[in-house]
Amino acid sequence: MATRCQFENSNDVGVFAKLTNAYCLAALGGSENFYSVFEAELSEHIPVVKTSIAGTRLVGRVCVGNKNGLLLPNTTSDQELGHIRNSLPDEVVVQRIDERLSALGNCIACNDYVSLIHPDIDRETEEFVADVLGVEVFKMSIASNVLVGSYCAFTNQGGLVHPHTSVEDLDELSSLLQVPIVAGTVNRGSDVIGAGLVANDWSAFCGLDTTATELSVIESVLKLRDSQPSNIVKEMRASLIDSMV
Amino acid sequence: MPSYNFKAIKVVPSSKDFIDIVLSRTQRQTPTVVHNGWAIARIRQFYMRKVKYTQSNWHDKLTTILEDFPKVDDIHPFYADLLNVLYDRDHFKLALGQLHMARQLIDRVSQDYVRLLKYGDSLYRCKQLKRAAMGRMCTIMKKQAASLAYLEQVRQHLSRLPSIDPATRTILVTGYPNVGKSSFMNKVTRADVDVQPYAFTTKSLFVGHLDHKYLRWQVIDTPGILDRPLEERNTIEMQSITALAHLRAAVLYIVDISEQCGYTIAQQAALFHSIRPLFSNKPLLIVANKTDAIRPEALPDADKAILAEMGRAEVTEAEAQILTMSTLTEENVMAVKVAACERLLAARVEMKMQGKRINDVANRMHVAMPKLRDGASRPPQIPPSVLAARAAKSSSTAAALRKTERNLQEENGGAGVYSCDETKRYLLDNVHWRRDIIPEIMDGHNIADFVDPDIDAKLEALEQEEDRLAAAWEASGVGMQVDALSPQEALMLQRIRTRKVKIRALHQRQKAVAGNQAVLPRGADAERTLTTSRMRDSLEGMGMDGSLAVARARSRSRVGRKRERSMGPSAMDIDGGAEGEDGDVIMAPPKKRIHSSKSRSMSRGRLASMEAPTAKTGLKDSVQKNKAIKMADRQQRVRGKEARKGEGDRHIPSLRPKHLLVGHRGKGKTDRR
Repeated sequence: MATRCQFENSNDVGVFAKLTNAYCLAALGGSENFYSVFEAELSEHIPVVKTSIAGTRLVGRVCVGNKNGLLLPNTTSDQELGHIRNSLPDEVVVQRIDERLSALGNCIACNDYVSLIHPDIDRETEEFVADVLGVEVFKMSIASNVLVGSYCAFTNQGGLVHPHTSVEDLDELSSLLQVPIVAGTVNRGSDVIGAGLVANDWSAFCGLDTTATELSVIESVLKLRDSQPSNIVKEMRASLIDSMV
Repeated sequence: MPSYNFKAIKVVPSSKDFIDIVLSRTQRQTPTVVHNGWAIARIRQFYMRKVKYTQSNWHDKLTTILEDFPKVDDIHPFYADLLNVLYDRDHFKLALGQLHMARQLIDRVSQDYVRLLKYGDSLYRCKQLKRAAMGRMCTIMKKQAASLAYLEQVRQHLSRLPSIDPATRTILVTGYPNVGKSSFMNKVTRADVDVQPYAFTTKSLFVGHLDHKYLRWQVIDTPGILDRPLEERNTIEMQSITALAHLRAAVLYIVDISEQCGYTIAQQAALFHSIRPLFSNKPLLIVANKTDAIRPEALPDADKAILAEMGRAEVTEAEAQILTMSTLTEENVMAVKVAACERLLAARVEMKMQGKRINDVANRMHVAMPKLRDGASRPPQIPPSVLAARAAKSSSTAAALRKTERNLQEENGGAGVYSCDETKRYLLDNVHWRRDIIPEIMDGHNIADFVDPDIDAKLEALEQEEDRLAAAWEASGVGMQVDALSPQEALMLQRIRTRKVKIRALHQRQKAVAGNQAVLPRGADAERTLTTSRMRDSLEGMGMDGSLAVARARSRSRVGRKRERSMGPSAMDIDGGAEGEDGDVIMAPPKKRIHSSKSRSMSRGRLASMEAPTAKTGLKDSVQKNKAIKMADRQQRVRGKEARKGEGDRHIPSLRPKHLLVGHRGKGKTDRR
């Protein structure tokens, strides 16, 4: 199910957390409140790791990962790398890579099978993504934004992309990713989906400002709580039209 | 989209207060000192400024009032009509119009008097013109007392109106008084509207909110209305009519089938039919309330027919059915709410689908379903523990509450105090490894490899060796022997130091005045340093005999010798140049000079001491005059010797006058005034 939360008065939870089917990374904050939101939901099933990456709290934006592996920027310190390796199960490959575009989370979006990457990313990094994360790699842009990681969020069950993505682009993305895709917003109209939403196959977390309509779209498209994407065009259609038009 | 918030309107002062406010502001904010001696242009300017300032103050304050109040023609017709009903549109417009006119008049008065002031030829006349101008402005405002008082009342009432958004999803509850409108409102929203068993409990519009289908809905409770012509309706009923007429809302017409409200079903149906034009183009639901008192089936056939007739009236637009509910037992209340919301939502969607803006969000209504591109299966990766937990939760509740880090934090002193153990959740083969220190690697080398494990022992050995050597050195007795000073030496050292201090102090003193010091006569020895006893001590201290020197000094001094008399000029004349008859060399009389700042040049013919005092000095003769000069000299001598500051010296009271050096500098010069 989808949970609303906030990191130190910021609604951009995707900046401060990274969630996959095998682990969750959360930023070090002034208090344990943000970490405990994830801990309460997830720690029975997967490890929830509190860490900094490269000395920053922007863990969700600088790393990318799925259940097979985790890619970290080259600015990650040895201590952080060791801490993450110790905290994650051995099946998850943790790899630090030399990529010029070091905000990997902004430039790469992936689930456990497919990934979208920024067109300017190195060939070497592309290979790392394919090998470490075990995914097919597609160079794409979303609604003419090259920062694919910032403007979409998808899991093995479905995905949400920038609200200005055209219907044709949605169909193309859906065929590439092989999951249902919907254009939408989070945090009361914010178009940076990647910053406002983190999700895996059975849970999602979004900013505290997210409206009830946005939240129900997210739950439907990500198939959380027995909701199906078709609900968006069936039961929720009237509410959506009335709230958006 | 404008939002209707009337709470921000500023207070409208009464005319008396208004005058006080503006005049005292003028008094405070403009210069108050004017002088008759000023150039006339400056005086005119002084009074013009006062007149203009007062005028601009009135102008600003009136403009704020005029802009704060809603303009009846610009706002949503619902609010425009509500204003008309509550405050009388004409009265309202008139009051604002009068203030507008007052503003214009004040501007004109100011313009006229400023023009007149240009011809003011004295301070008095200018002042009278200013007084006249301000008096006229105040009179104009005094005449607005009624308008201002009315507007203040309107403001107070407006600020208490509920904030109804005319554009949002709205459900309007209407019907005869006492049929259960407010009860329904209280059941479906959290608004706490007063419910009483008598008519017209609700005297104005009330707003509540409810959530349905992820959306926020506004419910408006209206006062009851009676069946009578529009002209006879009172203000309370008119508010309901206004809301019905202008809000695009779902209307719930509530009928009390138990007739406990005091009106028969027939009367209620009559009202319904008479206000039916107000329901056109709106989703309408007829709700039979108070089914707890009488079941709808138990109604007489005539009433059933009337209700059916009401229902049929509605069928023209949609399938209107008569809903039943009981706000007392809450039976069917939610069903009524859902039905109202659904009807309204359907109507709104239908309307919006015809607009253009639907095309902008068409892509967001589209769920892109994947077309299979290969045979690979991509199942979701949900851990079995999650599925198990889900099943457990659906079958039984009682999920044991885990202690989260947040709970621990609160137990252990709160945020900023509690420090979590980062290694607590490490997944390691051996739990004892988790405290292991991660090696620090630098340039591919482990820093620990370059650390000597015996470094502490080596340091210890070195320190011991050093102690040993030091002890040996002590024992050998070589080196500087430092003994305590003998008393004589200590005394001498003390003296040397004292002397050094004195020399340094003297030098500093001289340096401080940069050599600008009066040259003192040798005899002026305030500190008594140059005495014979000191000379003797000093010489003896150097091992010489001082007695000879002392004797010589004594012989040279005049102590014990009688003072020689100076001779008068007559005696001089007598003895002048005469060699003594008895062969003695007669000493030439000492040349006595009269020391004085007033002493004259020696080339003068007559000695000053011989001069007779001039008239009006108050002195009798030259003797007395000389005595006076001497006394003055004696007085002067003391000061002269000490070289102190005297009256005659140039004196600057303050070298850094504060008024020239602090604060911002004006246009004036920085020289002292």
